[in-house]
Amino acid sequence: MPADSGEPIIVLDQVTKSFGGFQALKGVSLNVVRGHKVVVCGPSGSGKSTMIRCINRLEEHNGGRIVVDGIELTASIKNIDAVRREVGMVFQQFNLFPHLTAVENLMLAPRLVRKISKKEARALAMQYLERVHIPEQADKYPAQLSGGQQQRVAIARSLCMKPQIMLFDEPTSALDPEMIKEVLDVMGELAQEGMTMIVVTHEMGFARSVADLVVFMDKGEIVEQAPPAEFFARPRSDRTRAFLGQILKH
Amino acid sequence: MGVVVEWLDAFLWGALVVLRVFFVALIFTVVWGLIGASAKLSDSAIARGIANAYTTVLRGTPELLVLLIVYFGSAVTLTGIAKLVDPSVKFVHIPPFWAGSLAISFIVGAYATETFRGAFLGVDRGQVEAARALGLTPAQTFFYVRLPQMWRLALPAFGNHMNSLIKDTALLSVIGVEEIVYVADRATTMTNKPFTMYLVVAIIYLGFVSVIIKTVAVLEVYANRHLDRAR
Amino acid sequence: MSFELALVWESLPKIVEGMGLTIELLVLSLVVGTALAVGLVLMRISGIAVLEWTAFVYTYIFRGTPMLVQLFIIYHGLAQFEAIRDSFLWVFLREPFWCAILAFSLNVAAYTAEILRGGIQGVDRGLHEAGRALGLKTHQRFLYITAPIAIRLSLPAYGNEIISLLKGTALVSLITMYDITGVARTIVAKTFAPYEIFVSAAIVYLCLTWLIQRGIGLAERRFGRYVRR
Ligand SMILES: Nc1ncnc2c1ncn2[C@@H]1O[C@H](COP(=O)(O)OP(=O)(O)OP(=O)(O)O)[C@@H](O)[C@H]1O
Ligand SMILES: [Mg+2]
Repeated sequence: MPADSGEPIIVLDQVTKSFGGFQALKGVSLNVVRGHKVVVCGPSGSGKSTMIRCINRLEEHNGGRIVVDGIELTASIKNIDAVRREVGMVFQQFNLFPHLTAVENLMLAPRLVRKISKKEARALAMQYLERVHIPEQADKYPAQLSGGQQQRVAIARSLCMKPQIMLFDEPTSALDPEMIKEVLDVMGELAQEGMTMIVVTHEMGFARSVADLVVFMDKGEIVEQAPPAEFFARPRSDRTRAFLGQILKH
Repeated sequence: MGVVVEWLDAFLWGALVVLRVFFVALIFTVVWGLIGASAKLSDSAIARGIANAYTTVLRGTPELLVLLIVYFGSAVTLTGIAKLVDPSVKFVHIPPFWAGSLAISFIVGAYATETFRGAFLGVDRGQVEAARALGLTPAQTFFYVRLPQMWRLALPAFGNHMNSLIKDTALLSVIGVEEIVYVADRATTMTNKPFTMYLVVAIIYLGFVSVIIKTVAVLEVYANRHLDRAR
Repeated sequence: MSFELALVWESLPKIVEGMGLTIELLVLSLVVGTALAVGLVLMRISGIAVLEWTAFVYTYIFRGTPMLVQLFIIYHGLAQFEAIRDSFLWVFLREPFWCAILAFSLNVAAYTAEILRGGIQGVDRGLHEAGRALGLKTHQRFLYITAPIAIRLSLPAYGNEIISLLKGTALVSLITMYDITGVARTIVAKTFAPYEIFVSAAIVYLCLTWLIQRGIGLAERRFGRYVRR
């Protein structure tokens, strides 16, 4: 257990999740301190996506507790809405709304959920498009943008809701190599501004330079969690070593 | 219900006529579809032009009108020819059964043309190249490699075409084919129970369509069996 | 035996007179049918078993029987019931025009509901998740994400359905109405020149089909700006 001080903004306590008979999470516990960046890695099917999707209730956990910024995730719609306001999410496949332009993608949720005016929403959206360095693409449709640009729009779209926490599920694995950097740069800037982040990624360079904590998952369990220096230098478990051996070869 | 029982015999015969029309038209539909698809994919601009005209016209003209053109048109033509031979002839026509079967096969054949064309293009070129590289002749390639993969692709749409065919048979009463709508017409004039009689017709059609849907579903499972195993 | 172009030329104006009725039937049934279809598809995706099942059975029946039979059940069949003949509805239901509108609308509703359902199923699941993650409510996700995309995805099939309906309207010539086909049949009965007259009618239908295709093409471009790179 990391002996980090500071209050945890996310608490997972013995969380379990099964799909039919298959147990995807077998009692996962994790504390995320406010402002920390957590990188989650592990082999395919190990439950990484399932874990972070439970945090904003895209999946419903079956057992254990999940508390986000003091709000416990239960069946209560009110709590779910409250948690979703706190938590932004970026997907591997971007999931931009194809029928809306970049700026409209950003404006939709603020207008519908936070009920701000169209004009305000547009100003807000432009501000965030600038933060991800593509204000000039505002009026293009997603299909007209490169993968890296799309992912940056998706990040900005989440930021528009002013979340306290950002979840990233393999944000760069659908991207061509030359676009990965532009997205990681934006994420790095976000990290510097103090955002709490959980990032599922196999970009170990990013983990080394940005993460406060690296979590390794396998077969629905957290096998190991440690600060990056320790994690990469002295992995304790054989499974972690085997995994690192594999991905660092590339 | 009693009235229906009296007419049950007639409805059964009518249903048999529907089935006969269906199977005859089905064969022709496949023939037109294959010819049409080959023409659309051929190198000859004329063949392509004719096939395009065929599908455009038949998919844009009411089924009823096609039926009337085929039946009355052919009758005028045949009568004209017959008069050249024997001026005393009054009226020669293709039997309604055949005119009707042909007409609906023309219509659905236009849709089948597109389906077969798509299925043909859907088979990966690499498959054909692999077969040719193995030394199969073009004909062998077609029958052993292309066709077996084509029908799997064509099946779902072709199921819809079969449903169209069976439902289009309802039009044939207009030219006097004694199918179930025709029976219901007659039964109505005798019994004054139109709702009951046409309801029977609807139920019979629903039965036929259900059988087609089920059959196609079974065939689809069979056609895709090699994909199941891969999972 | 020869094809007389002059006859085509003479009969075209009369046939075009029937076009008014054809278009009226087409547009009215389409509007009513599409509205019904939206209701049906909402039932289909409501998650309420009774509604889903009812909508499914409705769709199955109307797609599984010929439109001619549906028309005849309404036009010839309803008169069998005294209750209907005595009710105020009879004012409408004894008119072939309203019978046709009713039959066509019910029929179009079934097919269009299936088309829309297909469109809704075609919307990427990831977009729902993105909507949920952003905090949009179920109805907001449906209205602002699912519906616009589903409509775009449904347009080509909907276009075919309109053409299908156009062709179906020819059936009213069997219940004493003078639409394009009805007019053509009366002229043929007089001239006995089926090729010339029916082909003229077919030409009129083909023009309408072409117009519909153009319209749908425009709509696709309008609703589908986002698809192009
Ligand atoms: N909706 C679902 N229904 C059934 N099984 C699921 C579902 N979602 C995930 N699973 C299963 O749960 C397990 C964990 O999936 P998860 O997506 O969390 O893995 P992951 O670690 O994110 O893998 P990847 O690196 O491939 O994204 C997998 O075995 C997967 O098959
Ligand atoms: Mg994953």
